[in-house]
Amino acid sequence: MMRNSLIKKQLIIQKIRQFFREQEVLEVQTPILQNTSTSDVYIDSISLTINTDIGIQSIQYLHTSPELEMKKLLAQGSGDIYQICQVFRNNEYGEQNFNEFTLLEYYRLGFDIHQLMADMVNLLQMLGIQDKVYQLSYAQVFSQYANIDILNIDIVSLKIIASRLGLSTDFIWIEDLQMLLFVHLIEPKLKNLPLCFIYDYPKSQSTLAKVKNQVAKRFELYLNGVEVANGYDELQTKDEYQQVFICENNKRKQFSKLISQVDVSFLSKLSKPLPQCTGVAIGINRLLTQIN
Amino acid sequence: MDKYSINQFKNGLKLMLDSNPCSILNNEIVKPGKGQAFNRVKFKDLITGKILIKTFKSGEFLEGADVMELDLQYLYNDGNAWNFMDPHSFEQYIIDGTIVSGVKGYLVEQDICIVTLWNDHPISITPPNHVILEVFDTDPGLKGDTVGTSGKPAIMNTGIVLQVPLFVSIGDKVKVDTRINEYVGRA
Repeated sequence: MMRNSLIKKQLIIQKIRQFFREQEVLEVQTPILQNTSTSDVYIDSISLTINTDIGIQSIQYLHTSPELEMKKLLAQGSGDIYQICQVFRNNEYGEQNFNEFTLLEYYRLGFDIHQLMADMVNLLQMLGIQDKVYQLSYAQVFSQYANIDILNIDIVSLKIIASRLGLSTDFIWIEDLQMLLFVHLIEPKLKNLPLCFIYDYPKSQSTLAKVKNQVAKRFELYLNGVEVANGYDELQTKDEYQQVFICENNKRKQFSKLISQVDVSFLSKLSKPLPQCTGVAIGINRLLTQIN
Repeated sequence: MDKYSINQFKNGLKLMLDSNPCSILNNEIVKPGKGQAFNRVKFKDLITGKILIKTFKSGEFLEGADVMELDLQYLYNDGNAWNFMDPHSFEQYIIDGTIVSGVKGYLVEQDICIVTLWNDHPISITPPNHVILEVFDTDPGLKGDTVGTSGKPAIMNTGIVLQVPLFVSIGDKVKVDTRINEYVGRA
């Protein structure tokens, strides 16, 4: 029984490697130990103190995602790359959230998010997921399932909706209310769609994705209502990244969370901007549970 | 009353929600890719019996509800109130009709029911999963007709109406599943 699940995981990983080999996407490995913690507002790094016994003690962090390290490679001309690795996150709890899990992360140069979603469908089909593909924009699902014009509604009106639903309105930022209503009203409906991409997020949720025509060029993949992947049309310039890091750290400050040092080693690699590319992170453990 | 963090919500935990005592049925933790963690909690309002879903920010606290479940024996109805007794302590509980109304068709004298108390007051009664009721009135069926799939309505001695097979006649004792209000078989 136990061996069967090991065989299943091995088979899936082999197929993933084959998929990328055929498309000449290069497998890479990047450092897991980091000098800086993540600046992501709602993701926390696990820290550890090393080299104490030899008198050169320092605090290091386990990577929460290989994103910045892989982007360093992209900035230096790596071309299309992917990585399968363990990632580590602090303060995770629940049946779907773990302190350590396997991530597949890959970047395709010159792709927009629709090309990347199409590429992922090919990958999923190769892994045996043959369901009908739904692609719905964030605005579309909110209008269809909740009759809310999510891209244009302001925070006060969202609070009124939340309060009518008997939900908390104790939020500072509009994106948190958008997510609350997404989790409450939309996500349960996605359980009826076996394979569904949600794309074009409100710009308040852009994080490291480009904003075009007032929407963040991002997508998420849901398999039977479980979020499995998160993809972006990636920001390219040093200034844009710096701005996001500062903004995220300001938010962390308001929660009295650990403030990350700006990752100088990353920014210094962006003297030339990243090539235009899209990238996606796929939770392998969650994906495995959706494959028979 | 104690306060509970949402991450401590286990199925069956009794909490105060919208000023009613509720029982947790399911607690699902959802963390959007780049967002904060939420808990989507399914619960039953113990006063109204309604099943509801709410989404909370992870880390919110809610007040526990002083809810107790007792196995009490149903004794009799004196016209106004329904009398129950704790078969161990012999303590009697008088419960008024509004609380009994949804289940009175399943209350059979001597049966043990689960009575839910909130702050020591009864708020709901759960009859046994199966009870034996007597047929008070039904159309006469043809002997030997066991093929009919739809059956016929029958009024029980407790006042409720059930679909029963055609061969069931007045005075028969029948076993009833109280959760789905269905005839199970002849007792």
